[in-house]
Amino acid sequence: MLATARVLWSFRALLGTLISRELKARYRGSALGFLWSLLNPLLLLTVYAVVFGLVLTPPRGEDVKPYAVFLVSGLFPWIWFSSSVLEGAAAITQNSGLVRKAVFPAELLPMVAVGSHLVHFFLALPIVAVALIVGRGLGFPVGGWGVLAVPFVIALQLPFVAGLALGLSALTVHFKDVRDILANLLTLTFFATPIIYPLSAVPVPAIQTALRCNPVTPFALAYQEALFAGRFPAPGLWLHMLAVALVAWAFGTWLFRRLRETVVEAL
Amino acid sequence: MTTPALAVKNLVKLYRRTTPGDHFRTLKSALLEGSLTAGLKREESIAALDDVSFEVAKGEAFGVIGGNGSGKSTLLKVVAGILKPTAGRVVADGRVAALIELGAGFHPEISGRENVFINGVVLGLPKKEIERRFDSIVEFSGLGDFIDEPVKNYSSGMYVRLGFAVAVHTDPDILLVDEVLAVGDEAFAHRCLARIEELLAAGKSLLFVSHGLDLVETVCDRVLWLDRGKPRVLGSPRRVVDAYRAAVAEAEGRVHQEARQDEAPTLDAEGEPLRWGSQEAEITATRLLVGGDETERYHLTTGESAVFEITAKSPRPLTDFVFGVKIETPRGIEVWGTNTELAGLAPGRFEGTATVRLELPDCRLAPGEYTADVAVHTKDGTPYDYRRKFLAFTVASPERGIGLYFPSHRWRTTGGIAWR
Repeated sequence: MLATARVLWSFRALLGTLISRELKARYRGSALGFLWSLLNPLLLLTVYAVVFGLVLTPPRGEDVKPYAVFLVSGLFPWIWFSSSVLEGAAAITQNSGLVRKAVFPAELLPMVAVGSHLVHFFLALPIVAVALIVGRGLGFPVGGWGVLAVPFVIALQLPFVAGLALGLSALTVHFKDVRDILANLLTLTFFATPIIYPLSAVPVPAIQTALRCNPVTPFALAYQEALFAGRFPAPGLWLHMLAVALVAWAFGTWLFRRLRETVVEAL
Repeated sequence: MTTPALAVKNLVKLYRRTTPGDHFRTLKSALLEGSLTAGLKREESIAALDDVSFEVAKGEAFGVIGGNGSGKSTLLKVVAGILKPTAGRVVADGRVAALIELGAGFHPEISGRENVFINGVVLGLPKKEIERRFDSIVEFSGLGDFIDEPVKNYSSGMYVRLGFAVAVHTDPDILLVDEVLAVGDEAFAHRCLARIEELLAAGKSLLFVSHGLDLVETVCDRVLWLDRGKPRVLGSPRRVVDAYRAAVAEAEGRVHQEARQDEAPTLDAEGEPLRWGSQEAEITATRLLVGGDETERYHLTTGESAVFEITAKSPRPLTDFVFGVKIETPRGIEVWGTNTELAGLAPGRFEGTATVRLELPDCRLAPGEYTADVAVHTKDGTPYDYRRKFLAFTVASPERGIGLYFPSHRWRTTGGIAWR
């Protein structure tokens, strides 16, 4: 666990270069450039807000008004999570030349995906801020001092996302089906995470318990607490996140270390 | 004895043969054993390296030669640490920099400049150090303004030049180079060689894999010949390269010989006939017998004795017959030709089978490849049986030279010249 962290730390400068490079390369040649990292989540947000706020309006209770602000607090962290895991899983297969023909620290590759999407997440945060301010201006009790908890939630989500990306990147090399399984699994997880609905709106208690077992759930709840409700998340939620983060990182690094030696041959 | 820069001990590398549908099995074995080949039966794996051992001293240039698929590149990858050996060990004393294949370790979307930094960091150089050497790297690579272009726009020569420039500027203790020098142009190759010489003089070591036998011979102090993963000969470049060349020539000569004498092809690759004549007399076989013990082989060393042994038959008695042999280069330059008439032999009678031997006690052909036409014809030149390119053979010599003729010779000087 620590060994992988140490490798990543020793290559932090290179990791930084690769991430900034990845970001620059992504929007090169597009007219709107970096604006896309703002527009993409905004457009997605609009779609969800229209579909689930205006077209399909299930009974949700009064506690999620305004809906767009509720949605925004859980959706952006989810985008960071899902894009990082999906791209991170493919990172080694896509850069096979680097790993096969040179001595290259392969653990950096999935981390580049995680890091670059973290930057996108940061870039989308102003949208959240605007949403909160507008919500307050309209007289809703959104936002507050709880916002200060967000950096800590991010700090816990990082090892969670990174661990998964790391393990999956090595697994994908050996087992190409991971990519397709993952894409479907992520869609399922999205709906199994209280992002477009509050957990309290789930009618059956058994299903609520099941949803709590979803590793992404505590993070979504924490963001909603901190951003939407403006409250500092409860200690139990912190412990839940910490446990998920540790398990994901431990499992991911273990899987990566186990498979690293055979990755070059299997590519 | 000082410690070697690089010690390779009983290295074995197995690859698995691809069997469809065994994903779960290999994944399981990768997870549990850390190897893809641990659980495989012998016939399911293939040995790319089979018990390879050698040491490279400090300041030594060590070459590895062998045909395609002989395990050269695998060896380099294992030494570089890219691949994990199945068994055996690699002990390197110092920093290893590997230059394997085109554009190794370059990120295609990134500019050359950024790649230099990435590559340098990966090779273990601090960023400050790279900045300090950056100009020198660019100058060595000769890329000029192209350094700010994305690497994907580079020509293959540019890739190699930049890769080599970075690799040699990271002060490696052991430099691994795979074949890539062949891609750069002549001027760059010279600069690389000069730089390699500098490194060697500074006590660094080189592990060099190449098909360019002449280059290997020039650069390397010792050479290992790998044959399907097994070390075949290890020793001085001259000896190993010659042995390798001889084996290749032998294999080719035999193939040529067998193909020809099976009578099958009557046309060569260009559609030219390989055999013509009235067939009143026939040349059934020709062998090349080399050396004092007259062994049949199709490679010889300048100065060895050579015998062209022609087997011919004539069902009916002939009184007008001449046997001839002509040696040519593959490009059709006539090297030498002669026949029994020119030698002053007057034909008497030829019936049944006969063996005709043309003996060259001291064959002084220059090193190169040759073919021989063999014919039997009448005195006025009408062929009974003309067999073009009936034999193919290779000549090697202990000393290089140009041309087709290699007389025994020596240099002598007097006066104000001294040789070292």
